[in-house]
Amino acid sequence: MGEITVTINGSQLSGSEGMTILEAAQENGIDIPTLCHRPELTPIGACRICVVEVEGSRTLVGSCHTPITQGMVIYTHSPKVLETRKVIVELLLASHCGSCFMCDKANVCELRRIAADLEVGLPRFRVRKRYYPIEDVSPYIVRDLTKCILCRRCVRACNEIKKARVFGIAYRGFDSKVVVDFDQPIDKDVCQDCDVCISFCPTGALSRVKKLGEEKKGKALVISS
Amino acid sequence: MIPTQGKKQEDLLILLEEAQNKLGYLPEELMAELAKSLDMSISDVYGVATFYSFLSTKPQGRNVIRICKCLPCLLKNAQAIIESVERETGIKPGETAPDGKFSFELTNCIGACDEAPAMMLNNEVHVNLTPGKISQILKACK
Ligand code: SF4
Ligand code: SF4
Ligand code: FES
Ligand code: FES
Repeated sequence: MGEITVTINGSQLSGSEGMTILEAAQENGIDIPTLCHRPELTPIGACRICVVEVEGSRTLVGSCHTPITQGMVIYTHSPKVLETRKVIVELLLASHCGSCFMCDKANVCELRRIAADLEVGLPRFRVRKRYYPIEDVSPYIVRDLTKCILCRRCVRACNEIKKARVFGIAYRGFDSKVVVDFDQPIDKDVCQDCDVCISFCPTGALSRVKKLGEEKKGKALVISS
Repeated sequence: MIPTQGKKQEDLLILLEEAQNKLGYLPEELMAELAKSLDMSISDVYGVATFYSFLSTKPQGRNVIRICKCLPCLLKNAQAIIESVERETGIKPGETAPDGKFSFELTNCIGACDEAPAMMLNNEVHVNLTPGKISQILKACK
């Protein structure tokens, strides 16, 4: 494996052949936000939040799926990059339900965290919201696709890690949706309680089934005087 | 329903097109069968089938009306054409008439933008549409 030298944000760094820009940056302590990418899964470059500027390239490039090449000059936080990332988040949030206050995912939601990091403010784009009924047929998993950002992490996690191929993407454009079979609510016949997809979901779209009063199970607390 | 011996995943679109031409739509049993013989998930087959406007997962009417909904046609008032089709057929985009005479759909650009607004009726392209033309064309349908 050959050594490759690149320049990131003005400093010369070295990486090995086959490494992506994201990996080279991370190895050198530079933080690039990602949404659709996870190191465990095949990169698909769907969300574009990880874009960086590469000298000589006409457009910004997705760092999670672009390999480094000898002499590449990369800027991970230039004004153009930051502005682009911000607009991407704004567009994702434009059709999003916008109820973080009431969302169980709130403080661990990756979308919300990235929006906060990029200082995304009040919504600028007024578009139709995408609402779906909550799917809670399965005893293992609740899907609230209103919160789905179509990152396809659940699809790939199920395909590549669990090899169960439960999810697919159907329809087109604004109507695109993560579906099970012929767009049926997920139930226990197709999915076997492995939790893999839930742990990969960056938003509140996938969650475990919560049982009312679960925290009260166990011995009753008796206070004796 | 359609032969799949020796076919691979990359043949899926061709097979779906074949089935669409033969049966007029893609029944669920067919998609499930294809998924099985091509070793794919049902959701992936359904995904491809619902992505393309010329594939249909529901039975179609005898005549399929497809009005272009892209910008050049909309600028040439495709909306009036859409409304006149609704008036003539009594159905809205995405629907099939109960008597099975018409299905009405909106489609992406069909490459006739220079003569917008345009539509396809079954396999024929009609251009420079006006509400008057629509009622003529539709009256001629069986
Ligand atoms: S999924 Fe994230 S961004 Fe969406 S409502 Fe919940 S916390 Fe907010
Ligand atoms: S359900 Fe979650 S993991 Fe799956 S595509 Fe939507 S946001 Fe991504
Ligand atoms: S994280 Fe790179 S494109 Fe989504
Ligand atoms: S935009 Fe209608 S035919 Fe091209």
